[in-house]
Amino acid sequence: MENIRTIEEINEKIRKGDVNVVTAEEMVELVREKGSTIAAKDVDVVTTGTFGAMCSSGAFLNFGHSDPPIKMENLTLNGVNTYHGNAAVDCYLGVTKMHPEKPFEYGGGHVLEDLVSGKEIELEAVGYGTDCYPRKYLKTIITLHDLNQAILCNPRNAYQRYATATNGRDEIIYTYMGKLLPNFGNATFSGSGSLSPLSKDPNYETIGLGTRIFLGGGIGYVIGEGTQHSPTNKFGTIMVKGDLGKMRPEFLKGAAFTRYGTSLYVGLGIPIPILNEGLAKKTGVSDEDLKTDVLDYGIARRDRPVLKETNYAELKSGKIVIDNKEVSVTPLSSIKKAREIANILKEWIEKAQFFLTAPVDRLSVDTICKPMKVVSRVPFVNEIMENAVTCNLDDNIDVLAKKIINNNVNHIAVIDDNGKLLGIVTSFDITKAIATGKKELEEIMTRNVITVYPEESVDTCATKLEKNNISALPVVNRSNELKGIITSEKISSLLGEIGLKDESRIKI
Amino acid sequence: MKVELRFSTERVSEPIISSVILQEKAQINILRAQVSEDGGRALLEVPDNQADEIVKAFRKLGAEVIVGKVIEILEDKCIECGHCITLCPVNAIFFEKDYSIGLDEQKCIQCGSCLDACPTRAIKLYGE
Repeated sequence: MENIRTIEEINEKIRKGDVNVVTAEEMVELVREKGSTIAAKDVDVVTTGTFGAMCSSGAFLNFGHSDPPIKMENLTLNGVNTYHGNAAVDCYLGVTKMHPEKPFEYGGGHVLEDLVSGKEIELEAVGYGTDCYPRKYLKTIITLHDLNQAILCNPRNAYQRYATATNGRDEIIYTYMGKLLPNFGNATFSGSGSLSPLSKDPNYETIGLGTRIFLGGGIGYVIGEGTQHSPTNKFGTIMVKGDLGKMRPEFLKGAAFTRYGTSLYVGLGIPIPILNEGLAKKTGVSDEDLKTDVLDYGIARRDRPVLKETNYAELKSGKIVIDNKEVSVTPLSSIKKAREIANILKEWIEKAQFFLTAPVDRLSVDTICKPMKVVSRVPFVNEIMENAVTCNLDDNIDVLAKKIINNNVNHIAVIDDNGKLLGIVTSFDITKAIATGKKELEEIMTRNVITVYPEESVDTCATKLEKNNISALPVVNRSNELKGIITSEKISSLLGEIGLKDESRIKI
Repeated sequence: MKVELRFSTERVSEPIISSVILQEKAQINILRAQVSEDGGRALLEVPDNQADEIVKAFRKLGAEVIVGKVIEILEDKCIECGHCITLCPVNAIFFEKDYSIGLDEQKCIQCGSCLDACPTRAIKLYGE
């Protein structure tokens, strides 16, 4: 498409104070009303914005040297461990690293927010002592002002679009997409739709290496494609950096996701120069045109089941329909803040406080994010489940006792005539029934059974067994038909075989 | 109208609520009640036109009464994502037109479902 203006010309207009800037939401309206030809003529720059939890965020910090100097081997900031596998007094603080004594409440993201807020941070470092760096221990108090460099450097920010999360399981789950209620009880989405930076320049024609952006309330730069950048399926991401010293706590907020971890909400906005009519069209794409899938996060697999397709207009309406049920849906990111960011960026440009840059290199447009290569695979339920010993509601306790002995099992699944699961009875239930003189199965069976689906992983089984303090999980399909059973004995023997170890220190 | 009662440990075993119901001939709905080592608390729904008298009666019987304030959203912490909205069983939290968070304190039943879901821990039950 033929260009009608250059970035240099736009910057000249900014200098003269007669640049025409609109936010992405305003551009959608303009293109809808007047068409892309007129919009392209009228508008020089479209500003975008997003404010979401971006777990792939962190900061490089340099503290300067103490006297005598130390080569930090272990370093904590307000009790949160940092990565310091580089020079003596440098570190990288990742936002998801949690305080070991305040897990799920305080982590790297909160330390960054505290730093940007000007709060005092406790630094504690241990070194092993070298000829040049003899000090072995150091404890001090620092503020952002005391650091040489504090560079927010986020390997993956600003997903082009993101899936909507809901939960088909019969229990609450806590995820990085928030608290998801059972049986599609609610849903959450991320991204700001028609305000979202990368969805407004989906082929990365203007966003590339060196693009100057709004980052955390200050100025930042795109420094390349983000990790997991996957342009082929419109899941592009960018890597960004910016000076923490110039940022504002309103646009960098520590986040805590119960039983998931900590993160950082990052405010990010990108100006898109309208160099041609094609870019006017693309920046004018509405929420209705931005599609995304609703996924069942109840299935903890890499590829979660897609329940339906939706779009950002439907998501922003607050309700989506899943399984004929109206489900309340809200963002986990903040649309209000995203809008505020697009407006601030607009104001900066209008006041000639912000100039546009042309990318010095393009982001890739033809790559895809690959899954991890794993050489030893973890089994799934349908591969390791055993046939369940079953009974009907009218079987009496003597029959059940015989079944337990004859089959050498500890669990009997109670099913109806259609093979649907009604309950479970354990050998202990039978023993207790005999001890207390109970005769009827209905009196002793457990009706509220914890189950798994065939496509779930052995790890999910282990978690469910441990969390509920039980020793077996009936396997059912979506219609609650019994397919088999998984026992803790089976899991234990498998875990022994494949050498899985529970190495995580933090217990949920 | 929502009214929250706090009892000291000594008064936990006294039938304060039923006394007030009988005395004021009021239909009082108990939305939540709990007793722990530091006393008891209950969240009640009382008829608006009898609220003043009922509050007085509870105070007379030695209960601490908090009227109207059951939940608060800390403005400096809230980022207005709206996750709490999907978790509220009584629609006490909602989006305003401009995506600000709106709160109807009178609807809140202090179930607490939103508390652990708020990513910036911006929601507090009053007095906690």
